[in-house]
Parts: sequence; C-alpha cells; structure tokens
Amino acid sequence: MTETKEESRIGVFICHCGTNIAGSLSIQEVMDYAKTLDGVVVADEYQYMCSTPGQSKIIDAIKEHNLNGIVVAACSPRLHEPTFRTATQEGGLNKFRFEMANIRDQNSWVHMHDWEGATEKAKDQVLIAVAKARMLEDLQPKSVPVEHSALVLGGGVGGMQAALDLASAGIKTYLIEKAPTVGGRMSQLDKTFPTLDCSQCILTPKMVDVGRHPNIELRTYTEVENVEGYIGNFTITLRKKARGVLDPTEALERGIIGGGCNGCGDCAEVCPVIKPNPFEFGMAPRKAIYIYHPQVMPLQYTVDFDACVKCGLCVEACGEEKRAIDLDMVDTFEKVRVGTCILAIGYDFIPIEQKTEWGYKRFDNVITGLEFERLICASGPTGGKLIRPSDGQIPKKVGFVLCAGSRDNTGGVAKAYCSRFCCMYSLKHAHQIMEKIPGAVPYLFYMDIRSFGKMYEEFYYRIQNEGAKFIRGRVANILEDPTTKNLIVHTEDTLLGRPVAMEMDMVVLAAAIQPKPEAERIRQMFGVSKSQDGWLLEAHPKLNPCGTTTAGIYLAGVCQGPKDIPDTVAQAEGAASAASIPIHTGEVQLEPYFAQCMDEICAGCGMCVPQCPYGALALIDKEGRTVMEVTEAKCKGCGTCGGFCPGGAIKMQHFTSPQICAQIDAFLLKGGEY
Amino acid sequence: MARVKDYGNAELEEKLRDTYFYTTDSNPQFLEDVKKISRTAANMCYQCGTCTGSCPSAPRSSYRIRLFMRKGVLGLEQEALNDPDLWLCTTCYSCTDRCPRDLAPTDVIMAMRNLAFKYDIVPRNFLKTVQLIYTTGHGVPNNDVNRAARVKLGLPADPPTTHSYPEFMPAIQKIIDHYKMKENADRILAEEGQ
Ligand SMILES: Cc1cc2nc3c(=O)[nH]c(=O)nc-3n(C[C@H](O)[C@H](O)[C@H](O)COP(=O)(O)OP(=O)(O)OC[C@H]3O[C@@H](n4cnc5c(N)ncnc54)[C@H](O)[C@@H]3O)c2cc1C
Ligand code: SF4
Ligand code: SF4
Ligand code: SF4
Ligand code: SF4
Repeated sequence: MTETKEESRIGVFICHCGTNIAGSLSIQEVMDYAKTLDGVVVADEYQYMCSTPGQSKIIDAIKEHNLNGIVVAACSPRLHEPTFRTATQEGGLNKFRFEMANIRDQNSWVHMHDWEGATEKAKDQVLIAVAKARMLEDLQPKSVPVEHSALVLGGGVGGMQAALDLASAGIKTYLIEKAPTVGGRMSQLDKTFPTLDCSQCILTPKMVDVGRHPNIELRTYTEVENVEGYIGNFTITLRKKARGVLDPTEALERGIIGGGCNGCGDCAEVCPVIKPNPFEFGMAPRKAIYIYHPQVMPLQYTVDFDACVKCGLCVEACGEEKRAIDLDMVDTFEKVRVGTCILAIGYDFIPIEQKTEWGYKRFDNVITGLEFERLICASGPTGGKLIRPSDGQIPKKVGFVLCAGSRDNTGGVAKAYCSRFCCMYSLKHAHQIMEKIPGAVPYLFYMDIRSFGKMYEEFYYRIQNEGAKFIRGRVANILEDPTTKNLIVHTEDTLLGRPVAMEMDMVVLAAAIQPKPEAERIRQMFGVSKSQDGWLLEAHPKLNPCGTTTAGIYLAGVCQGPKDIPDTVAQAEGAASAASIPIHTGEVQLEPYFAQCMDEICAGCGMCVPQCPYGALALIDKEGRTVMEVTEAKCKGCGTCGGFCPGGAIKMQHFTSPQICAQIDAFLLKGGEY
Repeated sequence: MARVKDYGNAELEEKLRDTYFYTTDSNPQFLEDVKKISRTAANMCYQCGTCTGSCPSAPRSSYRIRLFMRKGVLGLEQEALNDPDLWLCTTCYSCTDRCPRDLAPTDVIMAMRNLAFKYDIVPRNFLKTVQLIYTTGHGVPNNDVNRAARVKLGLPADPPTTHSYPEFMPAIQKIIDHYKMKENADRILAEEGQ
C-alpha cells in the first residue's frame, strides 16, 4: 500500500485570545519557532483568531501559499474547532485538514505565572500539532437518515409538554409513562405558586391533549426495557405491564365490539381487597382494581396483581358487554423506532425519616410538604380539610421546616444542593392555612428565603403581609409532647440570638428531593452521564442545558436538576425544539472518526467484536473470507478495538497509529529525525 | 479600631462607645489558627443556628456557639477569647452531630480555649481542675458521698481509674508536664495570690 506522499505545506496561526494567552506567554517566540518546523510554510498570529479577520487570515493563506494543512494554536477544540474547520473548508481544503493546539486551557490558564515555561510548552504543543497536520487525510463525514418520530420518557408536566410540542411540530411521538396515568407530581399538588392557580385545572387540559393528539402514541403503565441504536435510528423495546384491563382499542383487537374499560368503576365497587392509595401517600384507601384519582388519563382501571385475589367479582361486575377485565393478562413487549429521545423522569424524595431529629414517621403530626398538598386539596383524602393525623383536630400553629435535608453536607441521605422549590411551596402552604383556617398562624423556620423567580419575591412579600411568621434558624430538633401530640420545635432565632422552643400543632417538612432510584438504570440504557449529585447530566450547563453528551438524547424537567413548573416547562420546550431539529433536517452528519477494518490484514478472529462497547462490530463474509465489518453509524470512535486488534488491522480515522506515533516522536525527539 | 469619643465621663463613655466593626478589628490569622487546631473548616459556617438550637448551655446562659463561629470567621480574636461564655460549652458534641455544614463547632470552641490559654485567659476553676487532675488523675475526684452511692449500687467504692491504680499517676503527670499546664496553672494562681 504505497502512496506518494504529497509535500506538506502547513500554515500555523497563533491566537492571543486577548490577553488570555498573550498575557502569559510569548506569541512572537512561538511564531518564530513554528516557522522553523518541517513542512511549515507560513506562520502568523492575531488577537482573536476566531473573529472574521482572524478566519480570513486562514482562508487567504490557504489560497496564497497553496497550503494542505492548518494548525491553529488557541483555545479548546470544544469551543472553536468547528469555527476553524469551516475556515479551512472555505479556503478550499477538506475540513479535516485542520489540527488545533490548545495553548489556552491547557497552558496559559494553568501556567499563568511562568512566562518562559508556558512559552516552551506552547512551542511543544505547536510542534506536536504540526507533526499530526503533516499526516492528515481528507475525510468525508457520514450522514445517516433520521427516523421521523421521537420518544418521550416520563409523563409529568415536563414530558407532556415536550411530547405536545413535538407532536404539534408534526412528529410522531411516543409518550411513555410507567404509572397508570400521566400527570406526575403536578397532579398531586393543590395550588401552584406564585399565581395560586389550581394545579389540576391547569394540568388537566394538557393531560387530555396528550391523550387525544393524533401524533401522540400514549403508553401508560409502560417501561423501557432496552435501547439500541444511535441518533436518528434508535430501536426501543417497551414493556407494557399487565394492566388486567383492556382499553376500547385493545378490546376491539380481541373482537369485543364496543367493549373495553369506560371508567365506570363498577369493578372497584365490588372488589373486596382494600389497599392504601400511594397517590395519597396511604392517607386514603383504594381497591385492588383502581384509578389514582378521578382525572386520570387515560380513564382506565388497573389491577394491582400483587394484591388481587382473583375472586373474579370485578369481571362479573364489568359485564358481558364491556368484557374489559382480563385477570390472566401478562406483560407484552413492543419495539418502536425513533430518531430522538427526551428523558423527563422527574424526581423523588429523600427518606426524610432518616434525619431522625425531625421525627418524621415517629411523631404523628410531622408530615411532608407533598402530604400537606394532599391534605389541603379539595379532591384529597380529607376533602381539603387540613387535620392533624393524631386526632383529626384542625391545627392552629403550623411549623414549616425549610431546607429539610437540602443544603446539608453531612452525607447519608442529606443533599448538598438546594431543592429550589421548597421555599416557594412553603410560602404557598403558609398562605393556604391562613386562608382556610381562621386564626391559624404559620411559622416558617428558614435559613434564606430563595424567591428568585418572576413575581416570586412579591409573593414572599404578600405572605409576610398576610401574617406568616418567619424565624431565621434551621431546625435543630423536634420533640413530641406524648399526651397532646404537640411538637416542640428547637432552633435559634439567629436574628434575636436566642434559642427557641416553640410548641406547634403540626410540622411540615420541606423534604429534599433526589433523583428517582431507577434513574441510574435509565441513564445507563440511554448512555447519559450523571452529575456528582446524581441528576442526569446536560451537555453543557450554560450553552446546552437540554442536550446530553449522547447525540439524540435530551433532558427535560427535574430529572436534570431541581426546578419548578415554569422552569420545567421551559426546559421541556427547549428539549422538544432540540430533539426536533435532527428529525426535521432528515439526516445527521456523523464525525468520520469511525474505525475501519483493513480487510487484507484482518484475520477474521473476531476477538474485537465483544470489545466494542457500542456493538458496532460484526464478522461478515467478504469474497470468501471472514473479516470484521464496522457499522459506521454505531461507532463512536472510542478506539477500544483499534488499540486491541492483535494484528493491527483496525484503523481509527483521524487518530491513526502513524499520526499518533508521529506526535509522540515529535515530542520526544523535539523535532529531530523521526 | 473603635474611636474614643472623650465624653469625660466613664459611664457615658461605656454606654455610647463606638461599636462599629472596623476591618482593623479583624485578625485573619485567628481563623487560620482556629482551623489548624480544630481541624474543621470553621470558615464554612453559614450561621443557620442549628448548633445553638441543639446546645444544652444556650437556654441557660448567654452562650451562643453560633456567635463564636461568626467571630472566628471574622477574625474577632480579642472579642472571642475574652468572652467568659467561651468556657460554657459542656463538650456534649450535640452541635457537631447536627451541623448541616458538617463542621465541628465543639472543636472550634476547644481551639479557642487553647488559644486563650496562651494569653493566660482561663477561668480559675479550670486551673484548679488542672491541679486536681495532676494530683488525683480526676477533674472531680471521688468523695465519701460517691463512695457510699457506689457501694449501695454494688460497685467497688473506687472506680477502676487512678483511684484504684495510683501507679499510673506519674504517666498522667508526665503528659500534663509536657504541655506545661500544671506549671502555668500554678503560676497564674500564684500571681493572684491563690
Ligand atoms: C410539595 C410540593 C409542592 C410543589 N409546588 C409547586 C408549585 O406550586 N409550583 C411549581 O412551579 N412547582 C411546584 N412543585 C415542583 C413540581 O412538582 C415540579 O417542578 C414538577 O412536578 C416537575 O415535573 P417533571 O415532569 O420534571 O417531573 P414529575 O412530575 O416527577 O414527572 C415525572 C414523570 O415521569 C414518570 N417516570 C419516572 N420514571 C419513569 C420511567 N422509568 N419510565 C417511565 N416513566 C417514568 C413518573 O411516573 C412521572 O409521571 C412542588 C413540588 C413539591 C414537592
Ligand atoms: S379479581 Fe382482583 S381486582 Fe377483581 S374484584 Fe377480585 S380482588 Fe379485586
Ligand atoms: S428552596 Fe429554600 S427550603 Fe428548599 S432547599 Fe432551597 S433554600 Fe432550602
Ligand atoms: S450548625 Fe454549623 S453551619 Fe450552622 S451556625 Fe452552627 S456551626 Fe454554623
Ligand atoms: S458541644 Fe458545647 S457548644 Fe456544642 S452543643 Fe454541646 S455544649 Fe453546646
């Protein structure tokens, strides 16, 4: 395989980055040095290479000096590689004839106080980049078609919004929810700050819309079993959990005309098994055949097979016409193909009882914020009457413990971050008790009130004006009076500088939130990273908050980090927009960094195949020989196989062994013979 | 430094004294010393009050552990070390158990006491405790009332400490001598004619 190697004609461009680089090393010296390097025909510098005049220097030099390789010594490729590649292309070269030396993040920023050392290091970096540039080849990006459909995982307000946006943009969207109904946490809330709209009232229209939008395929009581593929071409296996109840379409499929569940509830009426309703945190009962609440979407009952005694009473009650109940139903599987996916799996709470000092689950009258929502909600277990669990009495003095487990560095179940919506919902709760219970006084025990959103500080003002009491101190511990079941809250009023022991009728803990336990499994299936606090990791916290490092996977809502409804909806719309771009473009370009099998060297041993973490390799028969083949669209260019192949038959494009060896040689021999 | 107002009247001078916090009132080294001795990141205190809320001393006195944390952060060395409240911590460690910033306020107090001792700022009863440990191995030595109570409970009259094993006394004295605690206690008490 001999090729006549073209003569190298490299141009080197050194960026000052204002004073970011020029303030810590000698641009002039690095430029003079570059000119001495083998193959370099021109070296130049500019204050901001990324600016239009900076890029013009590259374009003009290519034409003037007939260059065939470009090196820019500047910032990080993550920031400006695309910029300089475009300039390279505009100059008339293949855009992969470009190599970047990161003399800012990896040099001037870390060696700010070592002018000489930094200058020497920059020379080395340019030397190494030139060594690679001399060996660059033309490469063609690969484009793959994109499936005209999307998947949204999680049917909370975030997932529903994302699905509605995608569907309205003309994209067929699978909305997958593991619970029997969509709605998520928001359907458990009574009112929403700061406007105090009724949560169900503003949510139900969205729930109804996702149920009947022609482009939405709603799958409730369904989980993701497996994910295969890559951007544009994901194949996702869904497990439709056995619900024991058919919807009208499923009934029709079984030839039951006009049958299926119509939500009449006759079955639940006769069901003899009573269980606590998890939607109400066990404060209300449900039957073994149940719906969470009257507004569920879809309005379809579900059998809890863990509780069902298969007595068959419900089947009888349901009747011959509908024949909706099938007590022998089993889980079924379905594969869907989609171009992009949005994860919107929401959040959970820390097991706050493990912060024993606050007495949750030990003291009857200590409840959590979400339990408060159910107790104050007209459709909740008490019809909206806030009562003490210990004796059913109406509380007059209610303590709110803010930052219960948030902003806490003690480890265990505690979380170092701010849960971001508990200040605001505690203010809301304070308002609600003053509104509903004449003479009731809320006491908010807080460290800081974080009311940073639009109209939020004004809401804080309003609640204080309504008479809520604010005590600036984090609650140290709570004790219970065993006879009255009243609670004694201890803290310091740090503004008075006095320890406090206040007797409350009831205490509400603003419990910290945390990622869903299954988030770990989901993230691994979809190839998404997590941040150190466990939330799903966005591609960039500022510039790409909806994307992830896996192309085609996007995030919406609290699963990415604590946020309230306005922020969840905003991010969901962002994620939907981002997820629709590849679909509407119809194709995506993949970086041509994939592995290539050199058939004539490959021994067909197949040992590389199981090494690939992305399942991109397979053995095939080619002209009578067994050789390995790379599915280029699946290959992420990680290099595992290339490094592994005992025969050296795998070439990693743009990171070939000769290219890398040339870089190492250049560094070790400092430009000497190699 | 606080400005002297010169009212020519000691009582008025005290009542209307300049209470501004001037940057010059702060000794940044104080925080560093406290951190080094206590081995806790005292500067990370966010003044939540959990410590005072947990403290058995607080409701019975003017002692506010949180304020000592604050004075440490601001380098208010003289104010912290000269405050008699510094000696009201029982070292129960309740604050350390609960501090959400995972700090050890108890150890901060211990560090400040250490530093105070260097300036001979130390309550007399603490010095007498030092002398008692030096001679008996106990801050509160056994007495007849205790002995009777122990016997009544079916315990030996003396606990299995230096009371029962006086041969360990020289070792205890060696440790105290190493830190010159007894020497300093004797000297301070002698200077006051006690
Ligand atoms: C007590 C309390 C009061 C609040 N009050 C307000 C308020 O007044 N105003 C406000 O703006 N915000 C409020 N919030 C915050 C609000 O709850 C969230 O901002 C909002 O619910 C976030 O929506 P989401 O879609 O991201 O997550 P969720 O609502 O948690 O929805 C996630 C959905 O994904 C589903 N799911 C999870 N895992 C999977 C899986 N593996 N497969 C399929 N589906 C899955 C879940 O079943 C759920 O339906 C409050 C929160 C609490 C705790
Ligand atoms: S069969 Fe199961 S769900 Fe139906 S009524 Fe009996 S216990 Fe309830
Ligand atoms: S939102 Fe408020 S109560 Fe919740 S963790 Fe943040 S500061 Fe604490
Ligand atoms: S508990 Fe910790 S963080 Fe809070 S005031 Fe005390 S020392 Fe500071
Ligand atoms: S260790 Fe000291 S400061 Fe801390 S709670 Fe106990 S007595 Fe108070």
